Amino acid sequence: MAETMKLEARLQALTDADLERGLAAFRSRLRAAETSYLNSCVHCGLCAESCHYFRTEPILENVPARKLEHVAAVFKRHFTAAGRWAPALVGARSFDREMVRAWIDAVFGRCSLCGRCSLNCTIGIGLPRVFRAARAALAAMGLVPDDLQATVDNSLVHGNNMAISHTEWVETVQWLEEELQMETGDPTARMPLDKHGAKMLFTVNPREPKFFPLSLQASAKVFWAAGEDWTLASDNGWDLTNYGLFNCNDSQAGQITQNLVDAMARLGCTTLVIGECGHGFGAARWEGPEWLQRSYPFEIKSVLEVMDDYLASGRIKVDPTRNDKRITLHDPCNLVRHGGISEPQRRVLRQAVSDFVEMTPAREHNFCCGGGGGQLAMAAYKDRRIRSGGMKAQQIAATGAKIVVAPCHNCIDQLMELNKEYKLGVQIKTVAEMVADALVIGDAPRREEGALT
Amino acid sequence: MAHPLHIAVLGSATWALAALVATWLQARAYGKRALFARAAGDRAAGVKYVFTTGMLPQAKESVMMHLPSYLAGVAFHLGAFAAFDLLVASITGIKLPAAAFWLARVATLAGAIGGLVLLGKRIATPHLRGLSTPDDYLANLFTTVFVTLAGATLLAPTLLGAWLVAATLLFLYLPLGKIRHCFFFFSTRTHLGAFFGYRGVFPPSGT
Repeated sequence: MAETMKLEARLQALTDADLERGLAAFRSRLRAAETSYLNSCVHCGLCAESCHYFRTEPILENVPARKLEHVAAVFKRHFTAAGRWAPALVGARSFDREMVRAWIDAVFGRCSLCGRCSLNCTIGIGLPRVFRAARAALAAMGLVPDDLQATVDNSLVHGNNMAISHTEWVETVQWLEEELQMETGDPTARMPLDKHGAKMLFTVNPREPKFFPLSLQASAKVFWAAGEDWTLASDNGWDLTNYGLFNCNDSQAGQITQNLVDAMARLGCTTLVIGECGHGFGAARWEGPEWLQRSYPFEIKSVLEVMDDYLASGRIKVDPTRNDKRITLHDPCNLVRHGGISEPQRRVLRQAVSDFVEMTPAREHNFCCGGGGGQLAMAAYKDRRIRSGGMKAQQIAATGAKIVVAPCHNCIDQLMELNKEYKLGVQIKTVAEMVADALVIGDAPRREEGALT
Repeated sequence: MAHPLHIAVLGSATWALAALVATWLQARAYGKRALFARAAGDRAAGVKYVFTTGMLPQAKESVMMHLPSYLAGVAFHLGAFAAFDLLVASITGIKLPAAAFWLARVATLAGAIGGLVLLGKRIATPHLRGLSTPDDYLANLFTTVFVTLAGATLLAPTLLGAWLVAATLLFLYLPLGKIRHCFFFFSTRTHLGAFFGYRGVFPPSGT
């Protein structure tokens, strides 16, 4: 409520210059693809049921085409001849306070940028690209919800989105290293910090050290079992998240990406490994180079690909009978539909668990959990987020699974809330946790490649 | 050229084509996005997918949930294509074989029914009604009348003048509203296919 009132106050204070700035930012984000999308919608409405917001609350404002229309109306009015000459005929609208309010509600409040509508659009309109341009316009006018912006600001100021101090991070890693040594019985098991020249720089979601240390320990255990030459960064560059993907301020998103690039250069690693995080992968793998306007001088991989490689090459062995409960897999939108990583996690799980069942639909047709697009960081839309997650809850319940594996810590947070709200009675885990539980370790203690003896 | 209104049709068609090309060029002028991320897939394969198997009903949940609407849409479009073919034949004086005439009759009849079904659905469905602008109704009406008269003219040649007027009006309106998707459909789908192809999402890998 307080968030909504703050936004409303800022809306009322908007000047013509603010609106001009927003329109210019919107214009600057448009390319041939977006303008083609904005010229193409035929209002067939078939996209409606593809959206988890509409499926759980079937009202006009939740139809993807309606959300698009708010943005297209402004595009038509300000950037097309038909919209200037006959605005009423083609539904063109001026970019005024009323439209700005509609934009905020549509692109921040009713969309997780999951892109499921794009796949179901009869024309093929990439709606999230257009909505990202609209969010960029709102960002230029200072209209990003405060809590979402605060997450970005944390990354800019503290180097991670939860403002975890350097000392807290380092001490957490050291504590987890001791835990790892106890768990494996190997006193040489390491969670290296700032190991110069290591092959892999492993990056994590700050939720791991803060709330889910066992998932970080699980990843470390897998690296230990594989004898991987890896490291964590003690300073900026350990956090893989980038909420610049959601506030759509490309300059800020680029600065956050630069932390990863700088850490790779500082530590001389050859492969940047993104931990289990959908938006983090999408931001670093796909958008980062565009924000920085240059290609990375290093390889970038998801940790899911790394674990898949370990199993394929025999570097680790797993016993699926150690995970004998029925498990299902959630497909994070930014990792799968927008990220192209859909099979590695499936190959891994088919080897590491004994009863794996797919949700319906799955892979690129998955439903968003409801927590994407920065929704978890925007308190004003919490009720909508939980309600829209009802589609995912139905999918989970239909599988009869006892464990939901989600290779994304944002999704995990949302799934935990859905678990409680919809009384699903499931455990929620990462892929690494499943693999770590199933690891078959030989008698000889493992040593990291290149580790000091 | 058999009918004086053919001139009007040709003039309006020229306007439509010129305006569509201008709009398309204007959209293209926004430029391409430079891509710096290493590709995970093939843009061309993604484009091929969206224009082939990606067009099949089973590729889209939205279509499977609304098969009658989808079929009405297909009929509407086939009817429009048939009507345009008949228009070309009428202007050029090309004699169509009897089988083509029969096919055109069926297609235009199906198209007219499809157009009316979609119009009825737009009026009857609350969220579609809420989504609609005057353009949505006009675009449907111009096209449905054009398709209907195309079929009717095959049965009653005295309707030729009325059909050519309908064609002229359709062409005059075409670039102004959503019928311009006849042009943008191809570029929009190409962009989407290239985006998902580049990221290794299309063609889909899983079964």
